[in-house]
Amino acid sequence: MKLENEDALDHYIICRQCHTLHEEIPIREGTKACCSECGGVLYRYDSKLAEHGLALSISGLILFILANIFPLVQIEILGHEQFITIPKTVLSLFESGFYLVGLICAFLVFIFPLMIFLIYSVLFALLKMEKGEKIIKDLLVLLSHIMPWSMSDIFFVSILVALVKLIGYAQIHMGVSFWALIGFVVLDLYVTRNLHVYEMWMLRKRIFFKERENDRD
Amino acid sequence: MIEIDEKKLIRCPVCEAVNIDRGANSSCRRCGCIIYKHQRFTTQKSWAYLITAIIAYIPANLYPMLTTKQFGSGESSTILGGIVMLWEHGSYPIAMVIFFASIVIPVLKFLILIYLLISVKYPLGKDKRVNKHKMYYLTEAIGPWSMIDVFVVAILAALIHLANIQIIAGTAATAFALSVFFTLLAAHAFDERLIEGRV
Repeated sequence: MKLENEDALDHYIICRQCHTLHEEIPIREGTKACCSECGGVLYRYDSKLAEHGLALSISGLILFILANIFPLVQIEILGHEQFITIPKTVLSLFESGFYLVGLICAFLVFIFPLMIFLIYSVLFALLKMEKGEKIIKDLLVLLSHIMPWSMSDIFFVSILVALVKLIGYAQIHMGVSFWALIGFVVLDLYVTRNLHVYEMWMLRKRIFFKERENDRD
Repeated sequence: MIEIDEKKLIRCPVCEAVNIDRGANSSCRRCGCIIYKHQRFTTQKSWAYLITAIIAYIPANLYPMLTTKQFGSGESSTILGGIVMLWEHGSYPIAMVIFFASIVIPVLKFLILIYLLISVKYPLGKDKRVNKHKMYYLTEAIGPWSMIDVFVVAILAALIHLANIQIIAGTAATAFALSVFFTLLAAHAFDERLIEGRV
């Protein structure tokens, strides 16, 4: 295999599922390239990636705030009423002395999801304005470090499991935050699956490489 | 013009850029991250995390996961006990979900990691047509789902907090959360390059 220089390696991609080497080819708008060995998605092409990403991440942030300030579920047992919010769930673990579990849960369901969506918003805003090459790089590195640790989808399934467990004993009313959380989880899944860091690195290269070429002319 | 062997190309685990493998201190040409720092002790770090996780998994199964206090009398149940109780009450789907999340997935993950860690050192199953990269990818994908049980306990403990009826999380919750945490670390610490026997 012959290459002009090391930067030419940008035209290649290694499948993240089975580690097969592929050459990157231009594809049509809105389509995706799949691995020939395992069928996993390699990359997508979206010329309005920054705009789409910004819209999605800001709506994600709004839904996240809604999901955290309103009550999640309200139950009624023997005439007593009780409701929980997401921060209250974590805090109650601290109150009953489970500091370690409380800390782990706080990071997994609150801090990391919030950080991810904040980083996405800043990233796409910077990419849209075509500024801050260095910050974008640092943010992308940080993003891929915390991405595997966000578990809001798993938390949502846990809420469903807990509610089904309670069905026989108590009356359950869903709060505003429950519906906001559904929206957030759907957005979270869509964003983490479809807006891959790989495409963002490519977009960064396209934007700042082009600028440098223009400067030279 | 430079010439490279295709086998010498590796993927940066952080930014996914294709890099030339420079051995001990490869740093990514795009994001600057060092590609696998723990070169000199190739599998030890992963082993250490994995053993910690397995040790934490033992008290997770022996101690009570949650205690239900009803009118003064307390009743505790372990993970397995809770699953059996749910099954007897007829909530089969929930029992299955909890069974998969807290028994099948952790044990499967331990076994796959042990297999991967042994097979990269010793010629065990080297010629078989198992795609170890896919196996590794699978463990990373299903791993976090074992947190379900801990989250359920947290939600129940926060929700059922009345004068007469209380649900309190048990010691097993801490042990289980630690176990999941360390298996995730073990999986992250595993050097994927070892699968092809390059190091």
